[in-house]
Amino acid sequence: MSDIAQASAPAVPAVSFRQRWWPLAERAIGYGLLIFAALATITPFLWMVSTSFKTDAETFQFPPNFIPNSLVWQNYIDAIAGPDTGRQLINSLIFALGSTASNMVFCALAGYALARMQFKGKNLIFALVVGLLMVPAQSQIVPVFLIVQRIPFAGGNDWLGNGGTGLLNTYWGMILPTAATPFGIFMMRQFFSRIPVEYEESARLDGAKTFTIFWRILLPLARPAMAVLGVLSFQSAWNDFIWPLILTSQREMATLQIGLQLLQSGPDARWNVVMAMATLITLPIIIVFLFAQRYVIDGAVTSGVKG
Amino acid sequence: MALQSSTAPARRPQSFTQNWSAYAFLTPALIILFLSLLLPAAATVVMSLTDISFLRPTSFVWFDNYIKLVSDSRFRQAVGNTAYYTVGVTLPTMALGLLAAVALNGKLRGRIVFRTIFYLPVLTSLIAAAVVWMYVYEPYSGPINGTLAQLGLPPQPWLQSPNLAMTSLIVMAIWRDFGTAMIIYLAGLQDIPKDIYEAARLDGAKTKDIFFRITVPMLSNVTFYLMIILIVQTFQVFGAIYVMTNGGPLGSTETIVFQMYQTAFGYTEFGYAAAMSTVLFLAILLFSLIGTKLMRRGES
Repeated sequence: MSDIAQASAPAVPAVSFRQRWWPLAERAIGYGLLIFAALATITPFLWMVSTSFKTDAETFQFPPNFIPNSLVWQNYIDAIAGPDTGRQLINSLIFALGSTASNMVFCALAGYALARMQFKGKNLIFALVVGLLMVPAQSQIVPVFLIVQRIPFAGGNDWLGNGGTGLLNTYWGMILPTAATPFGIFMMRQFFSRIPVEYEESARLDGAKTFTIFWRILLPLARPAMAVLGVLSFQSAWNDFIWPLILTSQREMATLQIGLQLLQSGPDARWNVVMAMATLITLPIIIVFLFAQRYVIDGAVTSGVKG
Repeated sequence: MALQSSTAPARRPQSFTQNWSAYAFLTPALIILFLSLLLPAAATVVMSLTDISFLRPTSFVWFDNYIKLVSDSRFRQAVGNTAYYTVGVTLPTMALGLLAAVALNGKLRGRIVFRTIFYLPVLTSLIAAAVVWMYVYEPYSGPINGTLAQLGLPPQPWLQSPNLAMTSLIVMAIWRDFGTAMIIYLAGLQDIPKDIYEAARLDGAKTKDIFFRITVPMLSNVTFYLMIILIVQTFQVFGAIYVMTNGGPLGSTETIVFQMYQTAFGYTEFGYAAAMSTVLFLAILLFSLIGTKLMRRGES
């Protein structure tokens, strides 16, 4: 509040009642609306956490209690102790970390080449990357599924991709189609283009080779961009639902997201355990975000693309 | 890949090295883009001209799938549902995102906390969000009907009602997306020169006038950009519907991608599903091109 007083301080001697109080009232209304919106946004999360601590009986009570009568940690134990949960966690981690690592490596390499190197076909390749930004990935799942199924020499396939199951139900199949994205390449290219060229020139004069320059000089400078790319890739794979759903038919290959869906739609679904699981799945993303918050918001702002 | 096979006539040895290492840097990413986007996009178009399925040998049926789509009343319903969902999500999301961005652009106390809260739903896994909202909409033990009961109002069958199900999904989508809109509008606001505002204030402009005469017009590019992102995204809605309503009740929440998924993986009619996906792709492309055009006009 004190800054308001200061802002109106270089006062022309006589300030009218309206001039004096109107900005304050505006501010109060603004704050009121913001607090209301923030509460509305956060309420589903609060319900999730509150339900996750309820007893079975309290879960079905109507009208529901906002604050649970007691904290039932057993729901979390039940969620974690599900027969497939451990396996699903491992699957989700391998998928998310694999996709993140490959995106960081491949998009950085490609982005650097497109930003800084001269070669034939450069404009064409860049135009292709930009064009692919517009292809709706969700609508391409059918052919991607067929391609993954028909990768030659995998899963009992012959060299024409016939006969076996290809990369279906494998980690490679899960990671490969997400291992580099047009958005990642585009973002890294934009970032590398902004680094002053002098850094490279002086290193080249000192006799450094292309890869050394990339690895020792450019990549350390690109740490913020890499952080954004890493968080976004992790988040997108960790939260992915449709691709693991289609690719995996075996129970051992399901991810946590599929597990949560199965838990919820099961015959004896318990809302409190489902909410405990939902809380556990949401936590890693929020933790990753809180650590890289500044980078992610800045990156989302400068690249203007959904996080 | 064909681009690289033409060996560059190396004028200087160094340019040859540059070429060679650039291709080495690019190859892994290009192979992945080729397999995950370029080849599938081309394959979709080709497949849409066939009757490919696991059930019979494939033959070309040319435009039969598209002719079938036009007269398919289920598909028409899905197109209508998708359009309703897209408009219902996009417009309120943009309006709320703009308001939040304008409110949080200044030196307001606690703005970081507000921004984080508004951005939180964007980060949440779609499935976790869907499951939580299913509970929120639960007719017998859910908090919304609980609140209605305490206010003495009759409970509603949110996701179970053909009239309310799509609207319920839209409300959840707005909750999830408006953080994205806010972030993009915040970026836009930072690009508006501060002296315009100062000049307007010196001239005695009111807050309302500043908002409608300066802020909104100056953000028109950002608005178009955001609109395209949201349209492309909402056109492709799938996960929430799969988990929350499974297209029901009475097909009232069946969208194009949902029907495509069912046609392909439920009935293994890949050719027909590919035709749906091509129609969707063309619609998205059309919107993107219109958006780009409008944006260009806004600039000049």
